[in-house]
Amino acid sequence: MSATAIEAPALPAPRRRMDPLGLLALPGIAFLFVVFLLPLALLLWSSIRGGEGFTLAGYWRVLGDEYYRGVILASLQLGLVTTSGALLLGYPAAFALARARGGWQVLLFALVFLPLTVSIIVKSFGWGIVLRRDGILNWLMLNLGLIERPVRMIFTEGALYAGMINVFLPFMVLPIYSVVRMMDPRLPDAAATLGASPWFRFTRVTLPLSLPGVVAGVSLVFSLAVAAYVTPSLLMGDRYMTMSMVMAKAFLNLRDWQLGAAMAAVLLAVAAFVVVGASLLQRRLGGGR
Amino acid sequence: MERLGLGIAWTALIIVILFLLLPILVVIPVSFTEATVFRFPPEGFSLQWYQKIRNVDGLLGALWLSAQIAALATGLSLLLGTLCAIALVRGAVPGAAAITTFMVSPLMLPGLVLGIAFLQAMREVGLRDAWWSLLLAHVVITMPFVMRTVLGSLAMFDFAMVDAARTLGCSYPVALWRVLVPNILPGFVSGALFAFIASFDNYPVSMFLVDVRTKTLPIQLLNYLEISPDPTLAAVSTGLIGLTVLVLILCDRLVGLRRMASI
Amino acid sequence: MAALRQAGHLTVAGAAKRFGAATVLDDLSIAVAKGEFVSLLGPSGCGKTTLLRCIAGLLRPDSGRITVAGRDITTLPAHKRNVGVVFQNYALFPHLTVAENIGFGLRAQGIRPAEAAPRIAEALALVRMSEHAGKPVTALSGGQQQRVAVARALVVRPSLLLLDEPFSALDRKLRETMQVELKHLLREVGITAIFVTHDQEEALVVSDRIAVMNAGRIEQLADPATLYGRPASLYVLDFVGQSTRLAGRVSAGGGGLVSVETALGPVRAPGAFAPGSRVVVAVRPEAVTPGAASPAEGLNRIEARVREVSFLGSRTQLHLDLPEEGEDRGVVELARLPEGIGPGSPVTLSFREEDTMLFPAA
Repeated sequence: MSATAIEAPALPAPRRRMDPLGLLALPGIAFLFVVFLLPLALLLWSSIRGGEGFTLAGYWRVLGDEYYRGVILASLQLGLVTTSGALLLGYPAAFALARARGGWQVLLFALVFLPLTVSIIVKSFGWGIVLRRDGILNWLMLNLGLIERPVRMIFTEGALYAGMINVFLPFMVLPIYSVVRMMDPRLPDAAATLGASPWFRFTRVTLPLSLPGVVAGVSLVFSLAVAAYVTPSLLMGDRYMTMSMVMAKAFLNLRDWQLGAAMAAVLLAVAAFVVVGASLLQRRLGGGR
Repeated sequence: MERLGLGIAWTALIIVILFLLLPILVVIPVSFTEATVFRFPPEGFSLQWYQKIRNVDGLLGALWLSAQIAALATGLSLLLGTLCAIALVRGAVPGAAAITTFMVSPLMLPGLVLGIAFLQAMREVGLRDAWWSLLLAHVVITMPFVMRTVLGSLAMFDFAMVDAARTLGCSYPVALWRVLVPNILPGFVSGALFAFIASFDNYPVSMFLVDVRTKTLPIQLLNYLEISPDPTLAAVSTGLIGLTVLVLILCDRLVGLRRMASI
Repeated sequence: MAALRQAGHLTVAGAAKRFGAATVLDDLSIAVAKGEFVSLLGPSGCGKTTLLRCIAGLLRPDSGRITVAGRDITTLPAHKRNVGVVFQNYALFPHLTVAENIGFGLRAQGIRPAEAAPRIAEALALVRMSEHAGKPVTALSGGQQQRVAVARALVVRPSLLLLDEPFSALDRKLRETMQVELKHLLREVGITAIFVTHDQEEALVVSDRIAVMNAGRIEQLADPATLYGRPASLYVLDFVGQSTRLAGRVSAGGGGLVSVETALGPVRAPGAFAPGSRVVVAVRPEAVTPGAASPAEGLNRIEARVREVSFLGSRTQLHLDLPEEGEDRGVVELARLPEGIGPGSPVTLSFREEDTMLFPAA
C-alpha cells in the first residue's frame, strides 16, 4: 500500500541512557518475534530438514529441475516485463502529476491513488470483463472497425502483462511523483543559463535527481510482481506458473512442504536481494546530497 | 523540445489514469445488467444482482469476518505499535534504527511466504483455529502501516510543546491529551485506515489460514469467481468500490490524501 | 565610466509581462553599459525577479525587446543566450561535486574535458575554493556555496551576469564581507552585472547605479549619491535611506521657493507648487542640526517639545509635539543624539532650505 515503503522514517539519535519508557517497545517486539520471525525461521529450517537430518534436497529439486527452473525464470521475466512497462508509462506520468497545479493535482492524484485501495480481486475481475471475447475491448475494436471478429485476449501473455502492469502501476508512479514534486524547479533553469540544451538538462540534471524515486518504484514493483499470485492465477491459471503459484500448490495440494519451503526461500532471497540492493543504491544516490 | 516532453508526460498521465480506472469502472455498468452473463455493452437495467447478494452462500458472513478481523487487527497493531513508537522516539532505546526496520519489515516480504510460514508454525504448535490464526497473522500485516505513520508523526512532534502546555497550567496527562494527541491524530487515522484496508483486502496470507467455515471476503469472492461467475460479483464489487471511495473522501477530509500517500 | 554608459551593453526596451490579471512588468526600459554594476531594487512583487528571468531567457516578455551587445535575444532560449545567473539560494546541483558543478556549463557546451579542466581549476582558484573541489556541494557553508555558484556562472564566460538576491541566504555579518568580496571579484573579471535585491544597503554597497522599481516600472535609475540626495519620488525617498517627513499644504510660492504649512510650523523648500497643493516635506537626518541656531536667511527652524526619544545607534528619532499640546506632531530623524534632551524638553531644530526636499503627497 505504501508508496515509499522501503525507507523507514528517520529517528532522532539516542542521546542519553535508556529511559524506562523504552520498555514500552517490548510487547510489540515480542509479538513480532513470536508471530513473524520465529515462523519465518521455522520455514527456512524446514526447507533444509529431511527425513534424516540436514538435506539440500528441496533446493536441489527447485534449482536442479528444469520445470521449476523454468517457473523461477518465468516469475523473474514477469517481474521484469511488469517493471519495465510500469516504468515506461509511470515515469512521464509521475512528472505530469508533479507539475499539475492546485485542485487539478489533488484530483489527478486521487485518481492514481484510488486503484491502490480497490481490492485486487475486484480489479482482476474487471480485467476479465475488459478482455473477454464479448468484453469491452473487443466491442470497442469491432465498432471502430479495427477487427472483424472478436479476438481472444484473455489467457494470453499480453493480457497477463497488461493486467500485472495495471495492478502495480501506482506503486511506480507514487514514489517517482513524491521525489519529482520535491525537486527544485530552478535546477533545470540553472542548467539552461549555463548553456545546457533541453536534452542535456533532462539527462544530466532532472533524470539523476529523480533516480531515488525510480529506484524506490522499480524495487517495489519488481518485488511485488515477482511474488504475484492472484493476478497471474486469475488471468492465466495454470498456463503461467509463478513461484508463488508453485508454493501455494506445494502446500495446499501436494502437501510437499520441503518443495514449498525451498521455493519460498528462493523467493525470499530474490526479495531480499531487491530490498538490500535498492537500499544500497539509495544510499549511493543519497551520498551526493 | 520542452513542449514535446511535457506533451508526452501529460499524455502518459491521461493514459495511466484511464488504464488504471478501466477495470474498476467496467464493473459498475455490468452490475446493473439484465442479462445473466457479462457482456458489453450491458443490456437493460435491473437491480436483481444486488438483491441476489443476500442469497449468495457465505458472502455476508465473509464480509462480517473480514470486517471483524480487520478492525481487531488494526486495533491491536495500534496499541502495540504506538507503545513501541513512543519507546523508540522518547526512550533512547539502543539499536532503535534496527528495531524500526524490524517492525516494518513484514511489508517488504512476499505475502505468500508470510502466510506459509505462519501456517506451518500454527501447525507446529497445534493452533488449528482459523479465526485466531487469521487475527494473529493480520496483526503482523497491519503493524508496518501503523508503525510508519505513528512513528513519523511522533518523530515530527516537538515535545517542547508539552512542556509549554505544562507551564501554562496543564497537568502532565492533560498536556499530553490537549497537545500531543491532536498533533499525532492524523498519523493515527491514516495509519489505521491503511492498516484496515491492507487487512480487509489481504489474499495471499489469508489463503493459507482459512478453513471451510471461516473465509475472509477476498477468499470467498475468488472462490465464487471460480465457481459461478455471474453479475452478482459485479454488484458486490460495485458496493466495495463505493465503500472505498467513501473511505477515501473521509480520509481526505480528515488528513488530506497526499499526506496519506507519503506514509 | 560616463563614456561607457552611453553604449548600452544590455538594453531592455518596452518590456511588458502579465500573469493573468496582474501586470508584473509595465512597459519597462533600461540600458546597462559594459562593465557596469546595476541593482534592481524594490520590494517583493515589484517585478525585479521577473525582469531578471526575462533577461536570462527563463521567461518570455509579452512584448518588448532585449538586446545584449547589439544582438537581439528576445526570443532566444535560455541555453543559447550566454547569460550567467547566480540564483537565490544558488540552485547548486545536489548530485554533483563542487568541481562538477563548476564544470557543468562547460560540459553542456561540449567543451572537451582536457580543455575544461584548467578552466575549472582557474575558476576554483578565483573564488578560493580549490581545496574543496571534490566535496559534495551540500557539505559547504552558505558563503562557500555562494562562491561556487558565482564560479559556476562565470566559468562559461557569460556576456552578462545576473544575480538574484545573492546574499539573502547569508547571515548579516557574512553578508557584509561577501558583498565587498564579490564586488571586488566581479570588478576584476570585468563583467557586466545586474543584482536583484530588496535590501537598500546592499544595493548602495555593490552597485554603480541603482534602478528603484515599483509595480513593474523603474521609478528612478541613478547612481547611489543622486538616489540618496535627490530622490525622484516619495517612493524612492522611502525606499532608500532614512528621512524626516512632514505632510503639509503649500501656502505661498514663487521664484523657485515655496512655503509649506506643516504640523510643526512653516517650512520653506525649493520647488514649484501651486498654493493649496498637498505636499510632503522631507529632510535627511544628517542635514538637521539640533540646538538654538540664530534665525538666518535660507534656514528652516522648528521649535517643538520632545515627547519621546528613540536612540538607534547611528541615528536618533525624536517624537515631537507643540508646547501646550499633547498630540504627536511628527517624527524627526537626527544623525546625532543632542545632549540633555529627554521627554518634555523643548528643542529647536534647523536645516537649510536647499537640503529640504518637496514631493507631491501620495
